[in-house]
Amino acid sequence: MARGPVHGYAIARRIKDSSEDALEIEEGSLYPALNRMLVKGWLTAEWGTSENNRKARFYKLTPEGRKQLERVSKQFDRLVEAIQLVMRTA
Amino acid sequence: MNRLKELTRRLAYLGRRESFDHELDDEVQFHIESRADELEQGGVSRSEALSRARREFGSAVRMREETRAAWQVKWMEDLLSDLRYALRALRRNPGFAAAAIFSLALGIGANTTIFSLTMEFLFSQPSCRNPETLASMQIGGNSDIEMNKYRFLRDAHLFEGLAGSFLEAESNWRYGEDTYNLHVMRVTGNFFEVVGVPLALGRPIQPGEPATVVLSYRFWQRRLSGDPNILGRVLVLDGQPYTVAGILPRNHRTLIGFGWSPDLYMPVSREDEIVALVARLPQGMTRQVAFARLKAACKELDKIYPRSSNSSWASKIVVAPVTGLDRLQELGLAFIGYFFVMLMIVVGLVLLIACANVSSLLLARASSRRNELAIRLAIGADRGRIVRQLLAESLLLALLGTAAGLLLNVWLTGVMSRVQLPAPVPIQLLIEPDWRLLLYSSGLAVVSALIAGLMPALKATRGGLSAALKLDQRQLGSQPWTLRNALVVGQLAISVVLLATGFLFLRNMTKATTLSPGFDADHALWAYTRLVPEKYSSPEKTRAFITSALDQLRSLPGVEAASIARAVPLNDHVSMGTEFPTDLDDHPIRVDFNFNWVAPDYFKTMGIRLLGGREFLASDRNGAPRVAIINENLGRRLFGNTNPVGHVIRWDGPVTIVGVAGNSKYFTIGEDSPLALYVPYYQESNIVNLHFLIRAAYPPGVVKGVNRTLGRLDSSAAIEVKLMRNALAFAFLPSRVGAALLGTMGLLGLALASIGLYGVLAYAVSRRIREIGLRMALGADSRAIVRMVLWQSLSLVATGVAIGLGLAVFATRPLAMFLVPELSTTDPATFLAVLAVLVAVALAATLGPALRAVRVDPVIALRYE
Repeated sequence: MARGPVHGYAIARRIKDSSEDALEIEEGSLYPALNRMLVKGWLTAEWGTSENNRKARFYKLTPEGRKQLERVSKQFDRLVEAIQLVMRTA
Repeated sequence: MNRLKELTRRLAYLGRRESFDHELDDEVQFHIESRADELEQGGVSRSEALSRARREFGSAVRMREETRAAWQVKWMEDLLSDLRYALRALRRNPGFAAAAIFSLALGIGANTTIFSLTMEFLFSQPSCRNPETLASMQIGGNSDIEMNKYRFLRDAHLFEGLAGSFLEAESNWRYGEDTYNLHVMRVTGNFFEVVGVPLALGRPIQPGEPATVVLSYRFWQRRLSGDPNILGRVLVLDGQPYTVAGILPRNHRTLIGFGWSPDLYMPVSREDEIVALVARLPQGMTRQVAFARLKAACKELDKIYPRSSNSSWASKIVVAPVTGLDRLQELGLAFIGYFFVMLMIVVGLVLLIACANVSSLLLARASSRRNELAIRLAIGADRGRIVRQLLAESLLLALLGTAAGLLLNVWLTGVMSRVQLPAPVPIQLLIEPDWRLLLYSSGLAVVSALIAGLMPALKATRGGLSAALKLDQRQLGSQPWTLRNALVVGQLAISVVLLATGFLFLRNMTKATTLSPGFDADHALWAYTRLVPEKYSSPEKTRAFITSALDQLRSLPGVEAASIARAVPLNDHVSMGTEFPTDLDDHPIRVDFNFNWVAPDYFKTMGIRLLGGREFLASDRNGAPRVAIINENLGRRLFGNTNPVGHVIRWDGPVTIVGVAGNSKYFTIGEDSPLALYVPYYQESNIVNLHFLIRAAYPPGVVKGVNRTLGRLDSSAAIEVKLMRNALAFAFLPSRVGAALLGTMGLLGLALASIGLYGVLAYAVSRRIREIGLRMALGADSRAIVRMVLWQSLSLVATGVAIGLGLAVFATRPLAMFLVPELSTTDPATFLAVLAVLVAVALAATLGPALRAVRVDPVIALRYE
């Protein structure tokens, strides 16, 4: 989403593809998560037309959302680093 | 900030829930179809693709629930649904709703109106730039000082700026053939700049401009009919042309506040004028620092203009803010604050009574809704939820009541702002609803919802399931301390306190209006004449005018006597405090007394008895031996039982007492044994405000003659002739205002309490119909039953009234400071009147239902409910 507006189905597919099906999640649970981010103001949503010519809702990251993303991914990186560090020294 | 944005997004969701649901469905649809398309391309049949897509998607229902939950504000939605439910319930019971809303509207209307008044009087902001860095100042105990002293202080550059204004100034406005007396504010050239007064049109008066004026919006609209080409127009004031430079906005408030609204602002023109000081403090300078600087400068001032008496300029310095409570405190006006505190308490009590009414209505309703509540509890509603729902109902009532109360407030304050108050000074209130009022009334709504609703809601849901489901046992036998009875007793107690206060002030008013001012107001006329100062440049000229005016007035048919004085009692007053040694006693006696300069025949004209000695004579003039007349009180204070006539007091030299006058009132009608000293009317400084007094057997008959006589002497003089009786209205104003406000509150409280009392007693009797029927069936005497019911009601009333009277004795004690000395706060007549009114209401409330009850056929009564 950091690269531009994208609709819910595309997000679901990207999660699936990029995790190489390792993450087995119900696709429907994506939407409550998206809506929670809408409430927080990290995303905005707009209706548009999809590549297969259907009416679809496109989500876009707000500046605030981008900041949050950076924050969270930094945190996550640190967590991973910490785990790796612990695993190596253990 | 983020939270707020989040809340607004959630609120926006609340408004479009339905379309949101549709959109969500569309989105799910899109997702599933897109996935199905993909699967189809992989060679799966359409129907198979769709069902697989659905499977992968998971439970759409749960997803929808969770998505909605992401947006919802739970408590708010609960509240909204509770309010909707309450609205339906109220619609089903319009009579109940109307009674409750009416009660609350009265209570809240009274509260917000007094609140608006209080805000206007105590906390209104003057129209100026940054009021927090403005300070009003007094030096040497004087509120106003002469121009030369003002200039000295201004040029000392103590502060960012120092301006002066005199608010009680007047001016003669020549308009066509007529001359009108205007109330004006005299200001120094820098006043507008220092204070930063905003204008609606044009520009302010600027330093060094002797002949420009700034008009009030009202004067422009009413007297000049809103002339659109007003700027640059010339007005003839005191015989001089003045150019209109600007117009004040409609909502202009003067620095002094209290609704004071002069017709126009004009520059100070003469050296002998006086001004009150207002300073613009530099940013960050505290009032303490300002005080120290001013004091240092006043010490210098004392060297240049030494003061004769013991009060130097550097003493009694006041530096006060221009708004807020501190100002009242510093300026010695704290009693106005106390009066409003009392008013707020009184209207608070009125609201409490109104809430008690609603509360007992809700209680009555709750008991008839018992079965509904029981069923809801039985099918698993938790108590907190039901209490909240019942509270939503009282909240709705409170909100509706507040809305109606606010309408009442807007109407009342609108009337108050429109009418000209019967004061001799230009008072114009400027009350408009603002955010403070809104905040206050929403606070009131919540508080009254809680007060009125909490108890009934808790009561209705108490006792759990079993108690609620049981067919409620009707009160067989008396339960003396039910919640409802307690409410009645409380309500009665409060209304007794209110009524006692109201009656006290009503009695105060009648007492005050029948109090004798000590002079004969019914046969006196007051002809106020203001001469144009520029035409009367010397005291001799003015004196010549006075002499010929008095001569001509005395020769008018119907006039018995005429005189002139500097201060008209009960309208204006000069007080002094000093120490007098007398020829009898070298030891000086400290006295604070009322002072007046009066001409020959003053006592005859005013109808004040001379107890000894003589009036002043024409020969008592400047240069002649100094003489004085004192009143009886002062005579007793200075000379004991000796006749003062012929004795001498030393007051910067010997002054012989030539007469003793009867005591009368000087400053307020309620003052207690005031002292007074009169000296002959002579012009040491040139005063152009002349107060002629005329005595006639029938004063209205000579008004025209007096007017014409004075007008002929000088057509540029502004003349205002009024009957002394009417002029006294101002003296009675405080007691009238007090009586009107508190009397209204007392009556309002009584009305509300009576409605409540009636409702509760009538309801209690109607609940006992079955019991009464049973008693009748068993052969009870109907009179005995009426007596029994009456007795029970009256004992309730007696308890409430007894508690209330006890409270009232203490509660009214601090009110003594607002009452005439002749009236004690524990005046028995007040309490008797209160008692009589309440007993009458109780009788009326009980008797009707009781009589109806005994007339009911026992069979029907037994089947009742």
